[in-house]
Parts: sequence; C-alpha cells; structure tokens
Amino acid sequence: MTPEAYIQTGTTLKWLLGIAWLLPLVGFAVEIFGGYWGKRFDPASNGKKTKLAAYMAVFCIGTGFLLSLSAFFIWKGATDVQLVTAAHAAEHGESHDGDHGDGHDHHDGHDHDEGHGHDAESGHDQDESHEHPHSNETLPPADDVRGQSPEEAEDHEGHGNDPYAAAFSGTFYELAHFGDLRISIDYYIDGLTLLMFCMVTLIATCIHIFAIGYMSDELTEDYEDHFVHLPGGKHFHRPGRFYRFFAFLSLFSFSMLGLVLAGNIFQVFVFWELVGVCSYLLIGFYVERHSASTAANKAFIMNRVGDFGFLIGLMILWTYFGTFQFANTDPQAAGDLGLFQMARDSHGQLDVVDTEEGKIVHLRGSPEDSERSIPYWLLIAAGIGIFGGCIGKSAQFPLQPWLPDAMEGPTPVSALVHSATMVAAGVYLTGRFYPMFTPEVLLTIAYIGCITLFIGATIAVVATDIKRVLAYSTISQLGYMMLALGVGGWGAGLYHLITHAFFKSLMFLCSGSVIHGCHHEQEMTKMGGLYKKMPITCWTMFIGVVAISGLAIPVLNVGLAGFYSKDAIVASGLAFMSGNATHFLLFFVPLVTAGITAFYMFRLWFMTFAGPPKDQHVYDHAHESPSVMTVPLIILSIFAIGCAWFGVLEGWILTSEPTHVAAGGTSAHHVALTLPSHDAIHGVHHTAGTAALFAAVVGAALSAVFYWKGLVDPAVIKRSFSGVHHFLVEKWQFDNLYDVMFVRPVHVVARWCTSFDKNVLDAFLHSLSRMTVVASSWDRKFDETFVDGLVNIVGTSTYRVGRSLQVVQTGKLRQYIMFIALGVLGLFVLLFMFFPRT
Amino acid sequence: MELLLFTVFAAAACGGAIAVVLSQNVVRMAFYLVISLGSTAGLFFMLNADFVGATQLLIYVGGTVVLLIFGVMLTASGPFLTIKSSPGDMVQAILVGALFLGMVVVTVLQVDWDGNAAKLESRYGVSSLERPGYNQRGEGHTTRSIGAALLGARFDKDLGKNREQPSTGYLLPFEIVSVHLLVVLIGAAYLARAKRRVNVPSEF
Amino acid sequence: MEGVGINGYLAVGAVLFVCGVICMATKRNGIGVLMGVELVLNGANVNFVAFSKFGPLGLDGQIASLFVIVLAAAEAAVALAIVLNFYNNHLTIDVDRANELQG
Repeated sequence: MTPEAYIQTGTTLKWLLGIAWLLPLVGFAVEIFGGYWGKRFDPASNGKKTKLAAYMAVFCIGTGFLLSLSAFFIWKGATDVQLVTAAHAAEHGESHDGDHGDGHDHHDGHDHDEGHGHDAESGHDQDESHEHPHSNETLPPADDVRGQSPEEAEDHEGHGNDPYAAAFSGTFYELAHFGDLRISIDYYIDGLTLLMFCMVTLIATCIHIFAIGYMSDELTEDYEDHFVHLPGGKHFHRPGRFYRFFAFLSLFSFSMLGLVLAGNIFQVFVFWELVGVCSYLLIGFYVERHSASTAANKAFIMNRVGDFGFLIGLMILWTYFGTFQFANTDPQAAGDLGLFQMARDSHGQLDVVDTEEGKIVHLRGSPEDSERSIPYWLLIAAGIGIFGGCIGKSAQFPLQPWLPDAMEGPTPVSALVHSATMVAAGVYLTGRFYPMFTPEVLLTIAYIGCITLFIGATIAVVATDIKRVLAYSTISQLGYMMLALGVGGWGAGLYHLITHAFFKSLMFLCSGSVIHGCHHEQEMTKMGGLYKKMPITCWTMFIGVVAISGLAIPVLNVGLAGFYSKDAIVASGLAFMSGNATHFLLFFVPLVTAGITAFYMFRLWFMTFAGPPKDQHVYDHAHESPSVMTVPLIILSIFAIGCAWFGVLEGWILTSEPTHVAAGGTSAHHVALTLPSHDAIHGVHHTAGTAALFAAVVGAALSAVFYWKGLVDPAVIKRSFSGVHHFLVEKWQFDNLYDVMFVRPVHVVARWCTSFDKNVLDAFLHSLSRMTVVASSWDRKFDETFVDGLVNIVGTSTYRVGRSLQVVQTGKLRQYIMFIALGVLGLFVLLFMFFPRT
Repeated sequence: MELLLFTVFAAAACGGAIAVVLSQNVVRMAFYLVISLGSTAGLFFMLNADFVGATQLLIYVGGTVVLLIFGVMLTASGPFLTIKSSPGDMVQAILVGALFLGMVVVTVLQVDWDGNAAKLESRYGVSSLERPGYNQRGEGHTTRSIGAALLGARFDKDLGKNREQPSTGYLLPFEIVSVHLLVVLIGAAYLARAKRRVNVPSEF
Repeated sequence: MEGVGINGYLAVGAVLFVCGVICMATKRNGIGVLMGVELVLNGANVNFVAFSKFGPLGLDGQIASLFVIVLAAAEAAVALAIVLNFYNNHLTIDVDRANELQG
C-alpha cells in the first residue's frame, strides 16, 4: 500500500468509526434531556409515553453498525498487503493437501479454522483453503520448532504476522501536554478493532430493538414495581423510565465503542470507568429494589478493586515508558513509538538482559538515551496490574461474584453486559495489551481463567434462576477466553469472545423473552413445557444452547459458532500442556468443563422448554413475545449459527495478532514456560477437538437423562451429594468468604472508629462545648451586671432629670420670654463676676 | 439745638415704648408704638442716617404698624380688645426689665467709647474725619452709597483709593433677603388664607 | 464736637429694648407680643446706627439696620399670619391659651 493510500484509508476509517462511536453519545444527550423535558412539555401525550427515545437509540446504534460495517469493508479492501503474500501461503498450503486426507471428517472442520489462522498469520487471504498445512518440511523452521530462541526467530522475519501493517493509529484530539505526559484522544484501528465494532454495534442494535418490547411496560406514568414492598402490603409506584433506560443504553454503547477505539491505555482507562459507571446505572436501574441497588454497588466496588491494579499498572508503564500510546503504526511518521513497539522488537521479542540488579528489559526507540530500560519484575507487575483491571471487569476469579448479582438489572442490560460490552472489555483489553504481557503474566492469566471457568460452570449446574445460570455460564466462558489468551492461543481467546458474544446475547434475550412471557417468573423450577407456548424463543434458545455447548455433527464437521472457538481453546490448552507437562490442569479442566457446560446448558433448556409444565399457573399465562422481540432473536441466532463458518472470522482476527504469538517460544526468566506456536496448536487440534466434542456430547446426554427423560431423579443425586450441592448453591462460599474476610473486619474497624469517635473525640468536643457554655454564662453575667447596668443608669438618670425638668416646661410663651431674659441677665452677671473688666 | 432735638425724640421714643408696655388696649398700644417708632426715625436722622430714617418711617410706621392694626382689626373683636395682664406678672416683668436695663446701662457706661474708637482707628488706620460716608461732603447723603453697597460696590470705602482688593459689598445678603421676602410672602399668604370650613364629624 | 455722645443713643436703645422685652413678657394679647418684638428690634437698630456714626463701622451699621428693618417686616407678616391661624383655631388671641407645648 502506498503511503498516500495508507493515509487516506486511515482518515476514512478514523471518521467512520469516530462517528459510529460518537453517535450514541449524541443519542444519550438527546434522550436524557428530551425524555426529561419532553414529558413535561407534551400535554398531548396524556400519560402515555412516547417511544421516541427508543427509536432514537436504535437509530444511533444501527447507524453505528452500518458505519462500522462499511469501515470494515473499506479496511478489508484497502489493506491488500495481506493479499500480496497470500500466494505464498496458498501454494504452501496446497503442497500439503492430501497429506491429511485420512477421513477425519470432524477434523476437517478444525483444519479449516486453523488453516485460516495460520495463513492469516503468514499474511494470507484465506478464503477457500481447506487444506491442512500439517507437515513441517515446507514450513519455515522457526514456525515449527517450539522453544526456539529469539535469535532464531529473527532469522525468519517476514513470516511473523505484522499487525502494524494493517493497523491505523493516530490522534483525534490532544487534550493536554504535561511535560513528557501527553494525554490525547487517540485511535488504534486494526482488524480486531473493526470486528469488535461490528460485533458490538450489531449486538447492541439487536438488544436495543428487543428492549423496545421488553421495556414497554415502563411506558406509563404510573409503573408499579411488584418487587418493592412498601409497608401495608402495597407496591411501589413511580413514573416509568423508558427514556432513561435507552439513554443509559446509548451511553453504554458509546463507552464500549470508545474503549475499543482507544489508541492509548489511559484513554482505555477512562472509557473503562465509563463502562463501569454505565453498568452501575443499568444494574441499579430498579433502584428502589434493595437487591438491585446492592448489586449495583457490588459491581462497582468490585470493579474498583480491579481498577486499583489497573492504575498501578498505568503508573509503572508511564514511569518507564513515558507514553500511553499502544503503537505508532504510520510508516512515515517520525513520532514516538508506542508501548508495544518499545517493549518488543520487530520480531516481537523482549530484549531481556541479566544485570547485577536483576533482569532488565531494554526498550527501543527511546528519544534521548538508548539505554532506557525497565526491570523485568516491574514489567510483570505492570502486566498483572493491568490484568487486575481485566479481572474485575471480566468477572474473573476472585472478583467474579458481582456478575451473577448484576442479574438484578433488566434482562436486555444483562445481555449487553454479558456479551458485547462490559465483560468483553476485559478480554478485549487482555488481547489488545498482549504484547506487554510476559510469560509469567500469561501463566497467571491462564490459571485465573482456569479457576474461573471451573467455578462458574459448577455453580451453574445447581443454579435454578434462569438468568443466573446464564450468568455463571458467562463467567465460565470468560474463563475460557482468559485461559486461551494465557496459554498462547491469542486468536482462540478473541475468537471465542466474538462467537460467545453472539450466542450469549442470544440466550439472554431468549431468557428475557421467557421472563417477559411468563410475567417476570425467573425460576426454572416453575417452568417447563414452554416449547408449545413460545416456539420461536424455544428454538432460538436451542440454537444458543447448542452453540455454547460446542456440539457439531460428527460426519459433516459442521457445527455452530461455539464449536469452532471452543475447540481452538481446548487445542491451545492441549498444545500448552504438551510443552509444559506440569501445567496439565490447563488442558483437563477446560476439557471437563466443556462437558459440564453442555450439561448445564441443556439442563436449562430442558427445564424451561421441555417436559411437562411444572407450574400450571405460570404455564397458562405464558405467551410468545411480540415480533419486536423475536426478530432480534432470529437475527442473533443466524449469527450464532454461522458466524464462524469457513473460518473467515478467525482469519480476520488473526491479522491483528501480535508478532511474537505465532511462533510460540520458550521463556525461562522466572518461570520456565513454553508457549505453543500456531503449528503446535494445529498439530493437536484434531485430538483436542474430538475430546471436547466427546465431553460435550456426554454432558448433553447426561442432561437429557436427568431432566428430559427423567430416567434418573436429580433430587436423588442432590441428596447423596448434599454437601457438594450446598457448597455449590452457596457459590463456593465466595460471598461468605468475602463477608468474613473484608466486610466483617471493616465492620469491626468501623466499630472501633465509632467508639473512638464517641468516647474520645465526642468527649473532647463535648467538654469544649461545655467550657464554652460556662464561659459564655460568665460573659452574660458580666454583660447584664456591668454593661447593661451602666447603660441603664445613664438611661434612668436621663429620664429622671427629664421628669424633674418637666415642671419648667409650662408651655406658656410669656414665661419662656421671662426665662430668656433672666438667662441673659444671669449670663451677664456671670460674665461680670468671672471676667471683670481690667 | 441738637441736644434739644435729641431730648425730644428720645423722650418720645422712650415714653412711647413705656406707654406700649403699660397700655392694656391693643389699639392704643399700636398708637403708642407709632409714636415710639416715629421718634426713633427722628433719632436716625439726627445720626446722619437719612436713608435708614426714611426706611424706618416708610416700612415701620407706614407698613408694619398698619399691618399690626389690620391684625388687630381682624382678630380683636370686642372681648379681645383688652386682655389684662395680671399685676403680679407686671411687677415681675418690670423687675426683671429694670434689672436688665440697669445691667445694660452699666455696661454701656463702663465702656470707654472714645478710647475704643481711637484704638480701632490706630489699628485700621482710619481717622474719624476720613470715615467713609461721614466726610464733610457726603455727610447725610448716604442713599447712593447704600444702594451701591447693596449691589456689591463700596463707593464709601473704595472711591478714590487704590486698593489691591475691593471691599466686600452686600450683594449676596441682598439676594438672600430678596428670596427670603418672597418666601415669607408666599408663606404668610398660605398661613393666613381663609380656611374652608370642613364639616367635622361629630364624634371627632 | 459737642453734643449728644454715643451714650445717649445707647441708653435710648436700651430703654426700647427693655420695654420690648417687658412687653413680650407681660402682654397676653398675641399682637401685643408682636409689638414687643418690634420694639426690641428697634432698640437694636438704634444701637446699630449709633455705632455707625460714632464707631469706625461706617455704612455697614446702617446696612445692617436696613436688613433688620426688612426682616422685621417679614417677621411681622409671618407672625401675623400665625396669629390669624391661631385665632382661627382657638377663637382667641390669648397666648396663655396656647399651652400645647407643655411638657
């Protein structure tokens, strides 16, 4: 691509995405003020509220989707630097065709994906290559040999993916310059950004449309909240908040898009917090419900814990790097390098040197002195700090308990939070910030993800609230993503992020439809047999369940979206395990959990839709939702089915993959670790995929046995494992644990502080005030006795003199004249007496 | 001759004044007042103050006393013509008046007038013979000088002398008195105008 | 120059003044009181003119007496108006009846 074309494309993308990003903000402003004033200045509405705010929000986000889509195609067309080298890969792929034609039908599907990933990594356009680039002889040796040294990797430049070639970075607006610190609104646009934009806007559009139907009971001046009990058995009444809901949704979308578009880590932090605020507002939407406001607080506070780490990471980064920008991709630009370019060389390797003070990492492109460096352990600390923010935002262990509580918000909010916006932010940032993570940090990420996915899945097995099952499954799936990122499956993690966003938002909207249809009944134990009442919801939900379970048709190698991405994750785990035998859990836990996932998801579906109705009352009143709610379900289910087909999605994601990921590598700085290369992952793809599919099928079958056919009564199992069951129902005791660990100690400290306040400070203040009272009473006595007495004496004496002189004042004119004459006479006499004439 | 005239005029003035005091009838009091004031005018003429004497006759005798008589006519109908003072009051007042008179006379007699005049002359350098307005030529012809002085020019002091700064005239007091007279005219007319009888409510 | 000195005129002025004061102090008739005032002013005037002749005062004394005459006329007019008003209100001109100022 010529520099002119590069600049032109960059400008186009910048404005398209910038508008798509800012439109929801405009929408937010218009809706919040218009909604507030509109209801006052529109007497014609007569209590019936307008849906204008909803249309406005849908328009904004829908336009954003169209802009994102066009931006994506412009980007795809413009960055044909990928296509130039594609021939090489195609030829290289063909040379291995047939190598693997051994009837692994199921395997073919995997090859398909993996081929794309691999090709994209080598800079190929991968539309139709179904080959299996399996054998190693024509591959560059560096790609194949795990544990290669950085020096070796440098020999093979050109084979590593260059994510900066197809990326565009720049600055919208520079806010401030404090010495070295430059704070600006940047953008960083690459394949991942564009895909996230399309995904977020598409899902948000569907959710907005769905919410028009779901929130329609807010379209009144007198909304009765059945979950708020006032004294006297009444329910709380309040004006409907339809417009406010959509305004918050718009703000939420704006924040998430800003986060994705952000070109520096500080800007990410700003939007990160904005996302947190929006989630707070939306989770606490039914603010009068105690549970909702508590849940909102919980979400916000737990995120603060993570954000603390984020801030520490930011400080470390700025101290040692002096910039917040991700990367400066403009080949012509003479500007400073970004974080990624400083930390890693053009082959994506860290320049680690042993010194007396320990290991340090040399940084590139430092402006004045070329000796700029950061201690290795601080780089680890920064990575873990940033990842701490992701833990909070993506509800990873140990900060996961806020996510199920966030179910208190309206269901469209849950869908948005769980798929496209809030929790996706953490995974997105982990992926985006990948070049800054050292292998030690990656291992942490992997284990955090591993723990999280297992905890989430096990709790989901016993949960009975339909939304909570989905919430725990979200936690679990987020754990999968983190695990994939941690074990070196960068593409797999983000791939799963996008596919999961589709089917999880689909399932949440389905559950919303169920809840709406069943008049806010959320307990699955009261549902059942609903497939007759709400067929569209039932079957779209089924699609989502199949997709998340990772089921596929074994013969045709065709599966739904989750099948591809989850297999990629499991394969990454297996490849990682084969390189690092001590970390075997990172493969087996996800594998087992894949089975558990299938089990609880089918359990949910069977309990809700299949079997006989369990609660006749709920069943009788259930009804299918209006088309404004079902159409988004259908759209989303189409994507849940097909978004991963032909592997194009993963190929696009992999264009943004950091340079060093593809080749894998070893690290022995603090922890001996081998990261699998793409090729290694590909090599075990078949095995892992089969195992995962097997686990999923077993899980689904067990679920059918328990909950559909009723061959085994779940209650029996529950009784025999009552301890385990209780432990799971209590969410692994996390809430209790935090209660004991943090809340109670805080209460104790607070009590100490209170008693200190009461006994010492208050006593001191009271004594002060008492002294003041005494002093002032003395002062009062002095005032009354002396000052007032003096004034009174003057006053009374004057009065008395006046009284005594009253008799002189006869009012007789002639007498006065006499007085005057006598007075003059007297004066003269005095004059003569005292001033006698000399 | 001068002594004779002075005696006559002084006696008339003092006698008129005493008669005013002693008379109980207001009309007679007015008559005696005329005598007293007219005699005073005669004294003014004797003091070479021709303009002041004329003014005294015109305004006092011809104006003020007529005004008083009008007042008497307007008010003193019948019973109020004579209002007797109590003899005690009279004695008391005369006692005080005699004391006052004695005091004044004593004071006057104690002053060495010629010595004072000589002191003043030596201080201000004005000899009695060259006193403005009292030179031989201008003796008894004060009208022109007074008119000029009221307009601010002191012929009597400045004429024929080369002074750095002219002596002060009386233009400003003249103007003030003019305005004062106007105000008094309006005020008197307002105060004395015939009040329209208002039907006073009975309970008031 | 022989003749009447200043003392004679001052004595006449004093007599007039004292008569005026006594007149004011004794007369119950309002107009009598006014006449007393005139006498007092007149006595003062005699003094002014006498000083004008026998002192270094010159014309200033005469001008002062002129102002006094004018102001006396004005005072007489106002005082008469007041007396008329008083008569309208009290139907008498006895100043002893005017004791509203009594404390």
